[in-house]
Amino acid sequence: MELILYIVLLAFLFEMMDSSAGMGFGTGLTPLLFLIGYDPLQVVPILLISEAVTGVTSGIFHHEFQNVKFSIKRPITKETKIMLMISGIGCFAIFFSVILTYYSLKLPKDVIKTYVGILVLFMGIIGIIRLKCKVRDTYKPKLLTGFAALAGFNKGIGAGGYGPVVMMGQLFSGIYEKTATAIVSLAEGFVCIVGVAAFLLISSYGVTIDFVLLPSIFTGGFLAAILSPYIVRVLPNNIWKLVIPIYAISMGILTLSKVFLL
Amino acid sequence: MEEINLQKDAFPDEIGSIAKILDSEMTALERMKITRHNLIRISGAAIFYLIMMLIFAALL
Repeated sequence: MELILYIVLLAFLFEMMDSSAGMGFGTGLTPLLFLIGYDPLQVVPILLISEAVTGVTSGIFHHEFQNVKFSIKRPITKETKIMLMISGIGCFAIFFSVILTYYSLKLPKDVIKTYVGILVLFMGIIGIIRLKCKVRDTYKPKLLTGFAALAGFNKGIGAGGYGPVVMMGQLFSGIYEKTATAIVSLAEGFVCIVGVAAFLLISSYGVTIDFVLLPSIFTGGFLAAILSPYIVRVLPNNIWKLVIPIYAISMGILTLSKVFLL
Repeated sequence: MEEINLQKDAFPDEIGSIAKILDSEMTALERMKITRHNLIRISGAAIFYLIMMLIFAALL
């Protein structure tokens, strides 16, 4: 087992952003690792395993640092219900995505990636415009369900962008930025647990997974999953109001550049 | 090191009420304070990390 320092650092940076802006670990780190020279079976299952652990860890620490109030026992808090709804749709979507892959149903990847890139970019721009217009935040549960379904649909057809769509969808539905980040972190953890199970299912059919990156990505991601909720707590919410849509715009641009440049 | 006593009724039935109370009633410096409970959780996470690394070392 070896720890690769620059991979630890990259995982730390992207998980810091993922746990504080609710997006970017998969969208940002995957193409970077491909560019470095790792192949999909070295990257995709490892990111899923790592995100499963770091997502849940981050959710626990967001609760610990009081960015959110999750509950296991009754009364179940509204935040917990939203998290369960988002993660439930995500789990179904990732399972559906695996079935598509298993039956080799190929969708035009470039087209759907372009669609998700434009969608995320557009949502980021709307987020900035909402800031300028000072839109009043009232909770809109139906709108949130719609965005969760849209994110699930994107993940189900293998287009990714689940984090950015769910995150921006929560903000448009009137959820407080710090709390939205906490909800999406824990939800992504649960979705990735199903993703890991799906990958293990595939590996039982003869696909070999290379675990060489796991200790490095886990180390960087795990440290960030603890530190990031603390940073979210300390910094004022106005900063996250600005950081989240700007980061969503950069994720949209990154998704589009993956289609047109890679 | 004391737990922060929040007025939980300030934002009844509102999503994100705890985070909103922290933001409205405390400065960033006050929010930097780490409680004993926080330290216990961080220690727990550190032990979990060490166990995971031992598992990786044994398996990989």
